[in-house]
Amino acid sequence: MKTFPFIYNEPRQFLSSLQGKQWADFLLGEINPRFSVTTIKAKVVAVREETADAKTIVLKPNWLWKGFRSGQHVPVTLEIAGRRVTRYYSLSSLPKDKYLSITVKRQKGGLVSNFINTNIKKGDVLELGDPTGHFTLPKTLPSKFLFLAGGSGITPIHSILKQLAANQFKGKATLLYFVRSFEDIILHSSLEEIAKSTGWLEIKYIFSDVPKEGYDSGFLSKEILQKYTEDLKSYSVYVCGPAPMQTKALSLLEGIDVKSELFLLPGQTSSKVKKTGTVDVFLSLSHKTIQVKGERSLLEELEDQGIYPQSGCRMGICHTCVCKKAVGSVTDLSNGEVSELGEENIQICVSRAESNLELEL
Amino acid sequence: MRTISKKLNHEEIEAFGKEVDALREEVMAKVGKEDADHIRSIYKIYRYTEILGRGLIHFSFEPISFVAGSLILGASKIINNMELGHNVLHGQYDWMNDPRFNSRTFEWDIVSDSHQWKFYHNYMHHTYTNVLNKDHDYGYNFTRLTEAQKWKPVHLTQPFTNMFLAMNFQWGVGAHGYRVEYMEIPKKQRKKKSLKDYKAVFFKKIELQLVKDYLFFPLLAGLNFPKIILGNLIANLIRNLWTYAVIFCGHFTENAESFSVDDITGETKAQWYLRQLKGSSNLDGSNFFYTMTGHLSHQIEHHMFPDMPAKRYREVAPRLKEICAKYGQHYNTGRFVKQFASVWKRIVAYSFPDSIAGKLMGNKKKYLEPTGLLSQPSFQISLPNEEKSATLI
Repeated sequence: MKTFPFIYNEPRQFLSSLQGKQWADFLLGEINPRFSVTTIKAKVVAVREETADAKTIVLKPNWLWKGFRSGQHVPVTLEIAGRRVTRYYSLSSLPKDKYLSITVKRQKGGLVSNFINTNIKKGDVLELGDPTGHFTLPKTLPSKFLFLAGGSGITPIHSILKQLAANQFKGKATLLYFVRSFEDIILHSSLEEIAKSTGWLEIKYIFSDVPKEGYDSGFLSKEILQKYTEDLKSYSVYVCGPAPMQTKALSLLEGIDVKSELFLLPGQTSSKVKKTGTVDVFLSLSHKTIQVKGERSLLEELEDQGIYPQSGCRMGICHTCVCKKAVGSVTDLSNGEVSELGEENIQICVSRAESNLELEL
Repeated sequence: MRTISKKLNHEEIEAFGKEVDALREEVMAKVGKEDADHIRSIYKIYRYTEILGRGLIHFSFEPISFVAGSLILGASKIINNMELGHNVLHGQYDWMNDPRFNSRTFEWDIVSDSHQWKFYHNYMHHTYTNVLNKDHDYGYNFTRLTEAQKWKPVHLTQPFTNMFLAMNFQWGVGAHGYRVEYMEIPKKQRKKKSLKDYKAVFFKKIELQLVKDYLFFPLLAGLNFPKIILGNLIANLIRNLWTYAVIFCGHFTENAESFSVDDITGETKAQWYLRQLKGSSNLDGSNFFYTMTGHLSHQIEHHMFPDMPAKRYREVAPRLKEICAKYGQHYNTGRFVKQFASVWKRIVAYSFPDSIAGKLMGNKKKYLEPTGLLSQPSFQISLPNEEKSATLI
């Protein structure tokens, strides 16, 4: 027979009820805001201006940072008007560098990119997550690389190029960097330096908005590819840039080994959501996928299907039904606002599905 | 139940609702960094007071510092339960997207399990405020507070049972939670779980709390353990008395009305607002007092806007009061001592059968008329706003 204090709880549960981690985080945070036992927190040690609308943020992470591979991105969480928001940014530094850095370009209407460019200063503390992404170099390096970068898509490629230089790469690499104008080139001096010091890198800037003498202008096309490459099939291709460029590149390079990384901007994505009758809702805790019409509140539509999530007032006041949305976009029925695609907590009684969703239910 | 508020017709109720909605929208638009900073500083105060309180209890070698430690630990628990816990669990800070202040992840220093509490408080109590047989917080199923509840001889004991509850309030809140949750779970979902399962959730939390206060910390003190146990007992007692007093002042003062299930059938949002107003009562005091009550001093504002960061109630209150005056609605407020005395008058009065209770409560009867949320629409032609308000006052 179980005796007090082990009738209802395991020893582990007692430990967690003492909130040891929260206490440690609180006390460490009082000593230094970068210290923590649960979260990778990083202090801004320098802010460098790359162009008129892009900045490199140099970060000193705490002991929980376990390193990364060139080309990977990292979730960056910061607080805007009291609210924690998260965006993914590619790391533009080298894994062996003392500090890590991200380079952020202002996006039109972008909440976080503009906030970082305007407000982040030396001494601020940001939260990071674990680095992710497969936009990295293979174990055995091929002899020829073709890099296609668009706008701020240069950041992971920059990191990969630096990595190649550090690895004493002996082959050949071509970078086609599509950018609005000469002034918009991000990480310009650093790129030039890699090209100069190594000798295997050829950089071509192609300007889409403001042509410049001695440079190509326009967008990614078959002609440009043919102009700077011979026998496309022999290259290992890396593409990183906005969606239109991505699509174009993938169609031009069909049948070739391409690694690509898409840059999605919050503003762009929500307008793309199209309702096509029903949408899929994946319930991650119960491992179920169901179809809903997206006509009424998620709560009602779930209940129609025999799923009864925790709910309460059904008018958005009691927050009983709050649930984490991992992926997808919803409309807040109380004010008609369409949410972003990322992770956030929603009240399902006043949310209508806009796209495929993943809910923590 | 009687009301001392002006009876409103449908148009007036809807106009009242619109003004309240507009007020809500205006204030909610301002919610931001200021509120985040506030709850973070409350969190800090709660952590530091707990360190200080437990430290003093632990290392005291004379009664004064020991009592001071117990008092500070009691205050820490009050802050944890009220300004922090109650408000966070209402989802007031969910927008911050910070797990420390999220209603789904927060757990508080009280024997009541937060999930069960959220169900019967956030949902049942806040949706069906003061509706007899629906709002289980109305008298907590043992206190008679209105003629609408049938008198039984057992009610004679309610002044004493209430004193007992006041001292053990956290146990009352916790034990209440699992029963309400079980009773209100739709039958479809009830099948798989028995009352015992719901009880187990509560007992699980009890075990954690008991181990923390009466085993873990006492053991740290070695042979000094009786002192630590006593300190924790005092702290819990202080928190229980205070929370009981504040919470009972919220809905059981003299002019706080109760409703029947019939009153709320087909209720609109505006009527819901009006019911929240009529069923709640406020406490006047200093800013420090407001914070220590978790802003439940602003019960009316809290019931109208339960998910608004609570400190905002301070700026909402005077404006809501104006709206109420404009519509001839009684805005129930007063100093703590006055309100708490009026709660006890009611507890004592209604412990007796109606004839005596009526006499004890009845001094204001001649001004009262029956509650009527859903009065018949009048034939009045709707007047322009200014004239309307003029006729109403």
